[in-house]
Amino acid sequence: MPVIDGGGRDQRLPEALERKVICRRCGVAMEPKKTFFDYLGHNFHTEVLCCPQCGEVFIPEKLVKGRMAQVEQELEDK
Amino acid sequence: MAALQEEMRHTYSVCPVCLKRIPAERVERADGIDLVKTCPEHGTFSSVIWRNRVDFAKWRGSLPPVGETENLRCPTGCGLCPDHQRNTCCTLLEITDRCNLNCAFCFADPSGEKDPSLEQVKRWIDDLTDPGKTLLQLSGGEPTVREDLPEIVAYAKEAGCKYVQLNSNGLRLAEEPEFLRKLAEAGLSFVFLQFDGVDDGVYRKLRNRPLLDLKKRAIENCGRCGIGVTLVPVIVPGVNTEQIGEILRFAVACSPYVRGVHFQPVSYFGRVPQFPRDENRYTLDQLMEAVACQSDGMIALENLAPSCCDHPLCGFHGDFVVLPDGSLMPLTRREKMAGDSCCGSAREPAGDGCCGSAGEPAGGSCCGSAGEPAGDGCCGVDPAEKNREFVGRRWERRDLSKEGCCCSGPDMSDMEDFLARVRSHGFTVTAMAFQDAGNLDIERLRQCSLHVYREGRWIPFCACYLSPMGAAAPGGEV
Repeated sequence: MPVIDGGGRDQRLPEALERKVICRRCGVAMEPKKTFFDYLGHNFHTEVLCCPQCGEVFIPEKLVKGRMAQVEQELEDK
Repeated sequence: MAALQEEMRHTYSVCPVCLKRIPAERVERADGIDLVKTCPEHGTFSSVIWRNRVDFAKWRGSLPPVGETENLRCPTGCGLCPDHQRNTCCTLLEITDRCNLNCAFCFADPSGEKDPSLEQVKRWIDDLTDPGKTLLQLSGGEPTVREDLPEIVAYAKEAGCKYVQLNSNGLRLAEEPEFLRKLAEAGLSFVFLQFDGVDDGVYRKLRNRPLLDLKKRAIENCGRCGIGVTLVPVIVPGVNTEQIGEILRFAVACSPYVRGVHFQPVSYFGRVPQFPRDENRYTLDQLMEAVACQSDGMIALENLAPSCCDHPLCGFHGDFVVLPDGSLMPLTRREKMAGDSCCGSAREPAGDGCCGSAGEPAGGSCCGSAGEPAGDGCCGVDPAEKNREFVGRRWERRDLSKEGCCCSGPDMSDMEDFLARVRSHGFTVTAMAFQDAGNLDIERLRQCSLHVYREGRWIPFCACYLSPMGAAAPGGEV
């Protein structure tokens, strides 16, 4: 699977191609899952790594500082 | 309609005859609100400022009135003084006093005198530019009459102006694509295009000649050069108030070339055909109602809000995305803004933002209010800077990099599709109600962020172009 730089649609870490991200609580590998976010009354989804057992999601810094920040900026008003 | 609170009644204005600063009162009547003032020398004057189509008190919000000892030099002592409450959002620079039209209405009323030299203009640009921040509006006169306009644009960009805007009637942009190409190469960011209506009858009345085809060609040419166009209609009662919806539909159909519509209800300064009576005025709330009513459900009143930067009575904005089927996805929700702070997260309860409260009226914007020093907005964000970045990113074309593809059926809840579409087809509906000697309100003026640069001074727009209305009968409307 390709990894899009800059917090794009595929949010898995480059190293995740070689190394799995493990849920600390459940000890199982996290899997990509469509996840929804709310901001200023709008609802958006993107794919992030999610624990198949407990539902904990892993939001990489790249996504927070990349696409999520960009969406926030676009929604902020005059 | 809620009765005006005492603090909302009192402000200061000017005598429309001698322009002296005088107390003024907002007086409620059955169907609106008047600004009433008495000059000891020239009598009592009244101008309608609101027609109760939107709740005045809610829209204005909680703002402190002008105190007796505040803004004593307004409006004759400008540049900006310590009592002024906003930094500069946009700097307007007049680069010519010539024009290729002779309009019935013109705030600048150019005299046709010789242009300032290119070297002089460059010195002004050096002085006014705050590198990486300045939004420079090149204005006039009609700035495209200058052959060296591309050099001026290039110089402004080199000096560090983040955005260079051209205020134009579009004649030369329509007729000389090569000139426009040079402007694009020089780095022109976007054009404010005078666009008063969708038939030539409007242009004959306001601009003294048919212009619709030229306007369309100007839009097409700008589009091909990647320069965003915002349509700027001056709205005049009896001329084009019934075309507001058609102008909006035309603009949406021209997306992404057209980035939005910026309405300007007519003001009576500079060159005007006559001094106004109340029926010659079109109030901000009338305009909001017309936008909602004439857009056939495309835009709702709740999608229009005051800006965090300028005074609520000076304008409104609505932020949208044009969808492939031609409908608009609203991003602005006024009631939502009343509770959500600009810097809170959606997980915070509404009203628990850092600078808003749930009980705050919609007009009490979160990012600064009268009484705050210039530049102190929400969470340390300068309202003028926030405003500038908003209009810059909406009015500039951002669809040229082809980042992502959402041309057919974007899923607007998908982050990627949303970002691609809002960048390519973002669309703003904005308004600026300029003030004249009849309705000037110093409470509004002291919050102005559109400043005209003149020889080292930044002058709030409505103070700069303020012109007396001549003698009027006592008690007369102005």
